Amino acid sequence: MSTLSIKNLSKTYPNGVRALDKVSLTIEKGMFGLLGPNGAGKSSLMRTLASLQEADSGTVRLDNIDVLRNPLEARKLLGYLPQEFGVYPRITAHQLLTHLAILKGITNRSERKDLVTYLLHKVNLYEKRNTSLKGFSGGMKQRVGIAQALIGNPRLIIVDEPTAGLDPAERNRFYNLLASLSQEVIVILSTHIVDDVRELCTQMAIMNLGQILYHGSPQDAIEELSNKVYRKLVGRDQLEDYAKTYKIISNKMVAGQPLIHVLCETHPQNGFEPLRPDLEDVFFSKINTSSVLV
Amino acid sequence: MFKTFFLSELKYTLRQPLVYVFILIFALMEFFPMVSDQVRIGEAIGNFNRNSPYVLAQHMTILSLLSLVMVVTFFNNAALRDYENKFQDILFSTPLSKSAYFFGRFFGALLISTLPLLGVFLGMVSGTYLNSIFGWYDSKYFGPFSFDMFLNNYLLIILPNMFIAGAIIYAMALRWQSTIISFMGALMIIAAYIISTTLTSDLGNESLAGLSDIFGINTYKIESKYFTPIEKNTISPGFSGLLFQNRVLWSSLATIILLMSYANFSFKRRYRKVKVRKLSEAQPVATFDLPHFKASFTRNTTWLQFKSFFLVNFLSIVKSATFKILFLFCIIILVIDLSNGFENLGLQSYPLTYIVLDSIEGKTKLFLVVIAIFFSGELIWRDRDVNINEVIDATAHTSLISLVAKVLSLIGTVVIFHLFFILVGMAYQLWNGFTRIEMDVYFLDFFYSDLPLLVSFSGISILIQVLCSNKYLGYFIAILILFVLESVLQILDIRSNMFNMINGPYLQYSDMDRFGPGLTAALWFNLYWLLLAILGILAAGALWNRGAKSSLRERLKKAKKETPANYRRIILAFTLLWLAVAGFVYYNTQILNPYHSNATKEKLAAAYEKKYGKYKQVKVPKITDVKYQLDIFPAKRNVHVKASIELSNATQEPIDSLHFYCPKDWECSLEIPNATLVYTDQVYNYFIYELNTPLSPGQKMVMKMDNAYTTKGFGNDRGNTDILQNGTFLDNGDILPSMGYNQDLELRDNNTRRKYGLPPQEEMPKLTEVLGDSHMSNYNSKGQSDFINIETLISTSRDQVAIAPGSLLKQWEEKGRNYFHYKIDTASINFYSFLSADYKIAKRQWKGIDMEVYYDEKHHVNVEMMLDAIQRSLQYYTKNFGPYYHKQARIIEFPRYAKFAASYPGTMPYSEAFGFIMNLQDTSKNNVIDWVVAHEMAHQWWAHQVIGADMQGAKMLSESFAEYSSLMTLKSITDNPMKIRQFLTYNHDGYLKGRGGERGKELPLYKTENQGYIHYGKGSLMLFALQDYIGEDRVNAAMRGLLEEYRYKAGPYPSTLDFLRHLEPQVPDSLKYLIDDWFKEITIYDNRLNEANYRVLDNGKYEVTMEIESYKIKSDSLGNETHVAINDWIDIGFFMDEKEERLYQAKRLKFDKASSSITVLLDSLPAKAAIDPRHLLIDRVYRDNIKTLQSK
Repeated sequence: MSTLSIKNLSKTYPNGVRALDKVSLTIEKGMFGLLGPNGAGKSSLMRTLASLQEADSGTVRLDNIDVLRNPLEARKLLGYLPQEFGVYPRITAHQLLTHLAILKGITNRSERKDLVTYLLHKVNLYEKRNTSLKGFSGGMKQRVGIAQALIGNPRLIIVDEPTAGLDPAERNRFYNLLASLSQEVIVILSTHIVDDVRELCTQMAIMNLGQILYHGSPQDAIEELSNKVYRKLVGRDQLEDYAKTYKIISNKMVAGQPLIHVLCETHPQNGFEPLRPDLEDVFFSKINTSSVLV
Repeated sequence: MFKTFFLSELKYTLRQPLVYVFILIFALMEFFPMVSDQVRIGEAIGNFNRNSPYVLAQHMTILSLLSLVMVVTFFNNAALRDYENKFQDILFSTPLSKSAYFFGRFFGALLISTLPLLGVFLGMVSGTYLNSIFGWYDSKYFGPFSFDMFLNNYLLIILPNMFIAGAIIYAMALRWQSTIISFMGALMIIAAYIISTTLTSDLGNESLAGLSDIFGINTYKIESKYFTPIEKNTISPGFSGLLFQNRVLWSSLATIILLMSYANFSFKRRYRKVKVRKLSEAQPVATFDLPHFKASFTRNTTWLQFKSFFLVNFLSIVKSATFKILFLFCIIILVIDLSNGFENLGLQSYPLTYIVLDSIEGKTKLFLVVIAIFFSGELIWRDRDVNINEVIDATAHTSLISLVAKVLSLIGTVVIFHLFFILVGMAYQLWNGFTRIEMDVYFLDFFYSDLPLLVSFSGISILIQVLCSNKYLGYFIAILILFVLESVLQILDIRSNMFNMINGPYLQYSDMDRFGPGLTAALWFNLYWLLLAILGILAAGALWNRGAKSSLRERLKKAKKETPANYRRIILAFTLLWLAVAGFVYYNTQILNPYHSNATKEKLAAAYEKKYGKYKQVKVPKITDVKYQLDIFPAKRNVHVKASIELSNATQEPIDSLHFYCPKDWECSLEIPNATLVYTDQVYNYFIYELNTPLSPGQKMVMKMDNAYTTKGFGNDRGNTDILQNGTFLDNGDILPSMGYNQDLELRDNNTRRKYGLPPQEEMPKLTEVLGDSHMSNYNSKGQSDFINIETLISTSRDQVAIAPGSLLKQWEEKGRNYFHYKIDTASINFYSFLSADYKIAKRQWKGIDMEVYYDEKHHVNVEMMLDAIQRSLQYYTKNFGPYYHKQARIIEFPRYAKFAASYPGTMPYSEAFGFIMNLQDTSKNNVIDWVVAHEMAHQWWAHQVIGADMQGAKMLSESFAEYSSLMTLKSITDNPMKIRQFLTYNHDGYLKGRGGERGKELPLYKTENQGYIHYGKGSLMLFALQDYIGEDRVNAAMRGLLEEYRYKAGPYPSTLDFLRHLEPQVPDSLKYLIDDWFKEITIYDNRLNEANYRVLDNGKYEVTMEIESYKIKSDSLGNETHVAINDWIDIGFFMDEKEERLYQAKRLKFDKASSSITVLLDSLPAKAAIDPRHLLIDRVYRDNIKTLQSK
């Protein structure tokens, strides 16, 4: 039973951007979703957890290993798929996975071969195993990335925006795969796609501007908003007036007209109708405090 | 529309600093060579203006090659900018004109590309101007500028070069859309230049070489090679001639390339072929059941990780297009070099392993270093470039493992390159039927020389890349180290190779002496650099940027905090080891074997002259007899010499003191009876002994000398190449102290002399008939001896034979050493050699004379030919000149560290590289052995029996005569006069090139002053032509007359005037003008055959009409020419064949006007007609003397 505990993690970049601001989280086995808009600090957090970046202060512990002090030990337990995963163009998928398997300590040759073959099957690339990676499409490369993250029985799997470039079927395969893994280990899934988190994660955090804005289960978060979110189709020119009066958490176009969601303790009347909040509303309500109009 | 793109290209580039930086760089690169001799581009600037059109054109062509970097930058940018900014889809969807876009961009980039080279103009003009203010350099070497000079340079060199290179690169960039491919284009141009340079090594290929050079570097060299100083100062490249033809040719080719590229160019985006993906049926996802394999991290894991890193890196290099292209380049260059490298007279050596190795090293070493630089950047940045770095970095491996694997894969790459070169070399050897393939030499040479350099350089470039924040900065620094460091060291006058990785002690393999004297030093320097490279890699391992990109400062901080203790200990251990090795190298190269920097050398030489110049007139006795006891210890490279020297006062006054200069690097001890050492100068090895009783005129005394040369450790350079483990070769000048003031130690270069406030060096004594001091000494001994007796007891190791002058009286073995006792049979000049090596000896006798060749057992192939040549020489010379006075004629091989043959009394040391290994199987070609052996044998008469007085012209009596004699022996064995023309062509070339490069004054033949191009080149030509004009017997009679008058006689020695005195009676009055024209003045002919037509007559005969122009030109010593009326006998003749081998109906006619029309009736129809068909006269453009016959 693994536990990842993050305490007061802070990081400020030389250009003054505060990427992590006293982040504290405790994550147990299962799928953990990390939601946040672009630039929220998700990738910084991921990189720090993957021992690829120093923090200014704070600690990260994976069970009894101090990840920041003892990165080498932490890396032995890690599976990592970064946001931008590329491949060496001139070798084959099989060669690349074998290389990474060796780096991850799979020293027995036949075991390694079995493992690589198994993974290639799992990510549906077995038939392409001996072609040069140069010709791989973005989605195929991403699948190679997924395969490599699973090598070496990691106790902590970090995946950063993993489904970019995957078609829906592949996405499902991948999530099923992650879900079955998370029976045993911690899987941290960073994404800005709210649905992914809703479908998969038992625990989640929402992040913006380097801070954790919410930490808990998706259900609890939705629960919190129940009976507080209302929606209405409004005229485009009225948008500004509504913004002054109501706390708009999102607006999107439906048949050419803005559909706004507002957060309100009581029914606002005025043509608004109540709705069952979903995770997206949670997400926007957490980050979109200043109600930016698109 | 064109204008829009053209101007936008200009604006875009001119807004960036790059172009200005380039202009500045070029300006500086030209400025320094203008005002100093320390920095130079191409060859040194000789006796002509530093800012002359010649210098400008020469520098411009060479710098064009360098400017390729900019051409690539600008044209590649113009072609690909829109693609790289991913702007092309937007841009190309607008209705713009294809031609405007294509040519607008191209010509914009072209104009920009020509700007940097304008910096060269700037540098030259500013250098000239500032020098006139500061006077760094003698202002007489600066002339006025002409506008032409700049305009023609721009139009003929800069613009076409940029256009040609630009068209190629622009086309390649558009076609392949890859910066790397564009750089390959530049490399291709460089390769083409190298190929063309290889072609220039043979005279026969010259026009081809000139036309084939893309940048006109060789073309201009060829076009200007016979320029006299005046011409260099005044003639700008012009719109005719070879250079112009070259420009037209290549510009047309480039235009074609550009037009083809235009035809292919399309705005439609070229999609890379995308293979249609076949998605296999998505299997229903069952539960995921990852096989559970335990990861283990042990030592074995580390080893596996290392291997895997190595493999992946290595594969990614060798599979890259860059690797394949570079590989191909190297092979092409190598093959061309191997099959085309001519040495002397259009001949080639047998493909000995070391000859092949020279080729491999010469042509590919730089490539390999560049490959190391290029791939070091690729390897270090590749993970980041392909975005896999985070995954790799997040695995549990030590950074050092991955780095070391990178270094090794880099080394592996270059090793593969080199191994392949070796294979190509061996294939070439076998192809030529040469089977003595020395694997050990191939591999040892690689391990001793190239591999350590490549390993060290790879290590250092990896460190540089790790330290730098981006790849291109890393490249820049590495290239700076590679190309600029050496110049910086030169400017700072730091000669220690401890600062210069590229230039270690020189290793040159010789069949005799193996890797030679530099081996120990090279190995220690290798160790020194390897340890430094390991330190670099260790440092790189600690500072490796793992994970998110961070600045060097952050990484340093992190490394300080996190580097584990045992890693620190390893670094410390290597640092200590390196320091120890550095200390040892320093001790050997600086303390045991100190050397002077160039500046110190200059200062010492200047101070020597100032300090001891006052002794110039000091009276010295003559050496009249020397007995040597010489012990050579080849294994240790030590020599011990004892000599007893008999001195005699040949002056009219008593001599009261003796001045000695002892040879450098020798421990010298002199024992002079009844004398006191009154002055010692250890810096200059200058000693003065005062004789207790002065040596009166005619009186003799005997002094003893005990000298030792001891090889200690190793030096900064290769070290002494005279005293070797196999092939020691010393002459008496290396051993004996010289007496009195030694003029050879003075500074020569007049500009340097000026710097130290010294007047120009004293000139050679003038040629005069009036008997004086100069007649009493010969040019070799400078009055310190005449003809003397020499006796030598020489010993060497058991496996070697030692040779000294004279007959071998006795030979024995004692205490495991070989002893030989030699004594000269005829008193000879004080100029002889001592040699020792493991020799085989070939012997033959001719009329009681022992002809012997001492050779290395591997070099037997030409030995019989040498004996033939000796015999042929003896036959001709004894018949035509007089008896041979030695009892033996020996040719003795010495290692190829020097490439010459020399003549000492009865012995002729002959370099391994200069004949022993030459392929002379093709008898239709020139034979360098026949030629050189006959030349050296001729010196046994001309220099050893009669030697010129120490004044102008002296060398004509030895070198011109020897060269003439040699030509006559060749003539005696050939039945075809045209064969001699091939030899003459080389002498013509030597003379004309030599006078072009003259730094002082060209003198007429009879006054030659150590000017090889005159006494070898011109002298042999004039004597050869003379015998053709007046008859062989008459010239030989004149020479014999001189010989009989002066043979083996001490002063007065003869001068060239004495020879002319003997010659005069032999020349018929009608040809007397030749003596003035050829010997006493500088005369050049300009003959041309403008037209040669024939028609068939009714009687079946052929009437040939030749339109001939003939000019005769007199030149002064600076090359100023005056036309004089022609009234000369010149040959006309015909060739029956295209190859000009069958001469037909040659006739000598008198030409008395500039244009003549000559009609000749012939029985057969020749192929060509010619004026001066045998090339007897000096004619700068000989090609126009011959024309193919046209029917009327």
